[in-house]
Amino acid sequence: MGTENPGRPSFPASPFAAAPPTITPFSNSGHVGGSEASNLRPTRPSFPPNTLPPITAGPAGSGEPPAFRPAPPTRFNDPSLPAPPSSYGPPASGTFNRFPTPPFGSMPPGPPARAPLVGQPPFQPPPSQVSPPPPFRPQGQIPAVPMGSPPPGVNTPQIDSPFPASRPNFQPSFPPTASGYPATGASSQPTLPGYVKQSNAPFQAPQGPPVQSPFQATPVGYAPSAPTPTPHYLSQQGGLAQAPPVASPYGLHSRDQIQHPGTMPPMGSMQGLIEDFSSLSIGSVPGSIDPGVDSKALPRPLDGDVEPNSLPEGYSVNCNARYLRLTTNAIPNSQSLVSRWHLPLGAVVCPLAEAPEGEEVSVLNFVSTGIIRCRRCRTYVNPFITFTDSGRKWRCNICALLNDVPGDYFAHLDATGRRVDLDQRPELTKGSVEFVAPTEYMVRPPMPPLYFFLIDVSISAVRSGMIEVVAKTIKSCLDDLPGYPRTQIGFITYDSTVHFYNMKSSLTQPQMMVVTDLEDIFIPLPDDLLVNLSESRTVVDAFLDSLPTMFQDNLNMESAFGPALKAAFMVMSQLGGKLLIFQNTMPSLGVGRLKLRGDDPRAYGTDKEHSLRVPEDPFYKQMAADFTKYQIGVNVYAFSDKYSDLASIGTLAKYTGGQVYYYPSFQAANHSEKLSHELTRDLTRETAWEAVMRIRCGKGIRFTSYHGNFMLRSTDLVALPAVDCDKAYAMQLSLEETLLTNQTVYFQVALLYTASCGERRIRVHTAAAPVVSDLGEMYRQADNGAIVSLLSRLAIEKTMSSKLEDARSNVHLRIVKALREYRNLYAVQHRLGGRLIYPESLKFLPLYGLALCKSTPLRGGYADVPLDERCAAGFTMMALPVKSLLKLLYPSLIQLDDYLLKPSANADEFRKVMKRLPLTADSLDSRGLYVYDDGLQLVLWFGRMLSPDIAMNLLGPDAAAELSRVTLVERETEMSRKLMLLLKKLRESDPSYYQLCHLVRQGEQPREGFMVLTKLVEDQTGGTNGYVDWLVQLHRQVQQNA
Amino acid sequence: MVKLTMIARVTDGLPLAEGLDDGREVKDVELYKQQVKALFKNLANRPNDPSRMSVETGPYVFHYIIEGRVCYLTMCDRAYPKKLAFQYLEDLKNEFERVNGPQIETAARPYAFIKFDTFIQRTKKLYQDTHTQRNIAKLNDELYEVHQIMTRNVQEVLGVGEKLDQVSEMSSRLTSESRIYADKARDLNRQALIRKWAPVAIVFGVVFLLFWVKTKIW
Repeated sequence: MGTENPGRPSFPASPFAAAPPTITPFSNSGHVGGSEASNLRPTRPSFPPNTLPPITAGPAGSGEPPAFRPAPPTRFNDPSLPAPPSSYGPPASGTFNRFPTPPFGSMPPGPPARAPLVGQPPFQPPPSQVSPPPPFRPQGQIPAVPMGSPPPGVNTPQIDSPFPASRPNFQPSFPPTASGYPATGASSQPTLPGYVKQSNAPFQAPQGPPVQSPFQATPVGYAPSAPTPTPHYLSQQGGLAQAPPVASPYGLHSRDQIQHPGTMPPMGSMQGLIEDFSSLSIGSVPGSIDPGVDSKALPRPLDGDVEPNSLPEGYSVNCNARYLRLTTNAIPNSQSLVSRWHLPLGAVVCPLAEAPEGEEVSVLNFVSTGIIRCRRCRTYVNPFITFTDSGRKWRCNICALLNDVPGDYFAHLDATGRRVDLDQRPELTKGSVEFVAPTEYMVRPPMPPLYFFLIDVSISAVRSGMIEVVAKTIKSCLDDLPGYPRTQIGFITYDSTVHFYNMKSSLTQPQMMVVTDLEDIFIPLPDDLLVNLSESRTVVDAFLDSLPTMFQDNLNMESAFGPALKAAFMVMSQLGGKLLIFQNTMPSLGVGRLKLRGDDPRAYGTDKEHSLRVPEDPFYKQMAADFTKYQIGVNVYAFSDKYSDLASIGTLAKYTGGQVYYYPSFQAANHSEKLSHELTRDLTRETAWEAVMRIRCGKGIRFTSYHGNFMLRSTDLVALPAVDCDKAYAMQLSLEETLLTNQTVYFQVALLYTASCGERRIRVHTAAAPVVSDLGEMYRQADNGAIVSLLSRLAIEKTMSSKLEDARSNVHLRIVKALREYRNLYAVQHRLGGRLIYPESLKFLPLYGLALCKSTPLRGGYADVPLDERCAAGFTMMALPVKSLLKLLYPSLIQLDDYLLKPSANADEFRKVMKRLPLTADSLDSRGLYVYDDGLQLVLWFGRMLSPDIAMNLLGPDAAAELSRVTLVERETEMSRKLMLLLKKLRESDPSYYQLCHLVRQGEQPREGFMVLTKLVEDQTGGTNGYVDWLVQLHRQVQQNA
Repeated sequence: MVKLTMIARVTDGLPLAEGLDDGREVKDVELYKQQVKALFKNLANRPNDPSRMSVETGPYVFHYIIEGRVCYLTMCDRAYPKKLAFQYLEDLKNEFERVNGPQIETAARPYAFIKFDTFIQRTKKLYQDTHTQRNIAKLNDELYEVHQIMTRNVQEVLGVGEKLDQVSEMSSRLTSESRIYADKARDLNRQALIRKWAPVAIVFGVVFLLFWVKTKIW
């Protein structure tokens, strides 16, 4: 207002102050460009009541302008006001130019024309008139005050104002504009009066409303100017205050507004806020399932995970977000602020994340000088340290201690205090570096990469064909195992006995030794159970060749898993390494045997429910602890078609930094591809051995809890016997002091590990984050991906100690609390009454929260997910890096038929094809072909009415068969080749797992159900909320206790 | 029987390679490894030591040879024939020089030649059993004369360095203590002076005070 007022001093009065907010709403709605809106707002109030003539013009204008919404009618306490104008306008400045000419010509016809357009409008007026009065009153009064003030002179300006076309700001424009358009103005006037009268009379209703609807739809704000004047005018006549324009909070969907005009409270928001948050209007009647919510407009992460890149200046040397992501890049400065931030506060670290070409972490050798570290807190040298005392001392950025610069490392400072050799010092310019570790960082010489295989050869393993696939895959990987020529390898197989294999290099065939004493397992041979691969290659090859046939007639149904595990431990304990367990039968003999404690449906919903998800026998946890101590990482491959208590067996992987791969009902014919790809990846990816990781942070804050698959060696030292690029770890931090005084806090992740080549290295990632005292800033800098990652880990941990229901409601509650806090921050001052508001940075949080509640580890109850699958998914999700996790939670759904039908395929088109669709059944057209990709599997969904041509081309003669028995193979058709190419691309985009492609035809139950339909997280399935309901529910709860 | 094998650079004691899973059956293996490391550190200070030596430690013996600025060391039982141990080290030396010769001087990180451990492992196995035909033949071979190789005790070897350390420590203590002595002497001197003249000064002071008071009052 202030801006406009220049013309009339009198207006600035307080009353207006109130008004502005109401106006602002437009900006929120999004239709309007934010900036313009603000300008508009002032104009309205400024107009003096006297300005009748202009007003007249206004009405005409108003007819055009979008704006009329229910609000005007409401105001009607006074018949006089046709006023709807208020609502209009704010919109685009650009439009103004246009406005003047056309509008006027059209004016007369305008009103009638509009009416027809709007079908709905007719009814609106009546309701609005009735109900609205009370709510709007207060606002209406406001205008009254100003009235007195308007000087007579005002009139002219007003007139002008309608046509301010040229500039966005109305005020200044008045004089000039007036001159330009005087004629038009005059012409318009006559019409207006008539109009006005009408409006006063009963007719109002029809006229006003009609106008509204059409305009809203059109985002372009027609000249706001016209409408603006009108209000004043009205007010004069009627004596009523202007109706405060009801901002359209519901910007997103016009329908909403129309439908519920009465209920809506007026809302306004300032433009500036647009950057701060987004808002969504949700069913105006909270709780009702509101068809009006336009589900298309809801935020969806269709672009996948977007890493936050809004880092302020000065943090450019931070390590890349793929290594370290904070849940918010603004650290709260006080306890009270932390307690108002209801989301997890912490970090997600993926220390070995794969870097794209050219961005690899550089390796630096400091062996001669020793690695520069802070004397007190042991922080590694990093770009944030500062040199003082002409380069002889450096100040630690984390603990602020002044350290001496070692003589060998000394360099002079230039005039700006930078070291002269800065460009030759990557450790002082890059957030991520790797140091070669000197002897002090070794307790023993670097270990060789070591792979030990523990393979189940009982009857079910033989029948499923698992052994053959495993043997073949291992054999094919032997050349690619990292660490040649030091790599060590060994095998044990087991059924009711444990079999060892002597692979001494001088033998031609491996010697098998069987140990039947399960109570007191021993190693039959001191050496040669674990051999150097390069030396014993021929023996290993011979073994792997004969392994499948060796046991093909085995009828043994027992599994002495525990003793075999102990034996493996004894063999490996000298060196450590990686133990791969292929497990097919529930352990039934010897130590560590497990009971069919089963998937007991009665346990669900009781307090004992969680005990099914934690290991029953302490043996496994104890073993895991021993494994970690001796630098052994365990990966579990589970294949059982029956319940096999993965909760217990998976513990081995969980506490040794490993991974659980689960292939329910494994059949070599169907799953061999997946198994062999994943096993290959597991064996050949770059692995860091005997690693420990620590994350340091500045004074006053501390990492308090760690979440992921690993074991803590001391309070803050994460022991990781074998770690690779597919593992991420999360941690939460808390404030130690009530108030942080520093401006910035620093985080440093240091991973000490042995590379496969035998080098001991320290990988250091350093990042800085500003300390803030404003909750809004924390929200602005929030990192959705990191938050979701931490939330899901917390939720999964929660399922280990309480009911699934509790874990889900926990997620829900945290989101509600966070949104409520955010709401308290902004809603009150900007009167966003009926809208759900949320920070722009967290716009996907509600959806991910919903997806999390529907994810395999948390979904439903007993019947929804088999227990083993639930546990396996839990283990997997505890280790996934942010990007993969987000993809798993909100998988991509891509329509393929168009692409396949198109003749050519170039790279550009690929990108177009990869357009992700919302995960709802509405996205699935029965004439289409879709692929669903969650990073772990692909599902090809064939619409019922898909052209048979496509199906024939892709599946050949199998097209008519039941798709569960059909496997997709490349055929001799162009289409099939294109499809396979596309699937290949999809798989390449996420190589950590192999996505097996399942085929499903629409309506093919129950497969379609559990493969696709339950995964459409936005839909309402089996008693869970759909996206819209979820939002409505969130919104209601946010408001309830606000 | 060979228990431990370590290879290090003499000039700075930087470890270059070590046998794989060494010391499996040795109790207190860490202690012996510490001793070896201390020994390596000492080597640089004693360039005049013989290039072959045996050092007794507990139930074991360290045998080492120094050649081309590299020290090859192994730890064996006392009963293990010295001749075989040195044969073993010779084998290692030949292979190590053949494979890594040129890079030894430039190696910049510890265990830069850790890949050599596979060879160590392999060779070690050959020497494991003293009764094999091959080893007996070597034992009987007169070519290698090991009688004159000096045998010393580990305490002695490590002690040389220690004694030197002690001397320098003592001398430095002497300097610092003499400085303290000088300070103290100066201090005492001053005190004696004060003690001597203080009474006189006080007496004079009182007298003057009385005078002053007297002139003021009367």
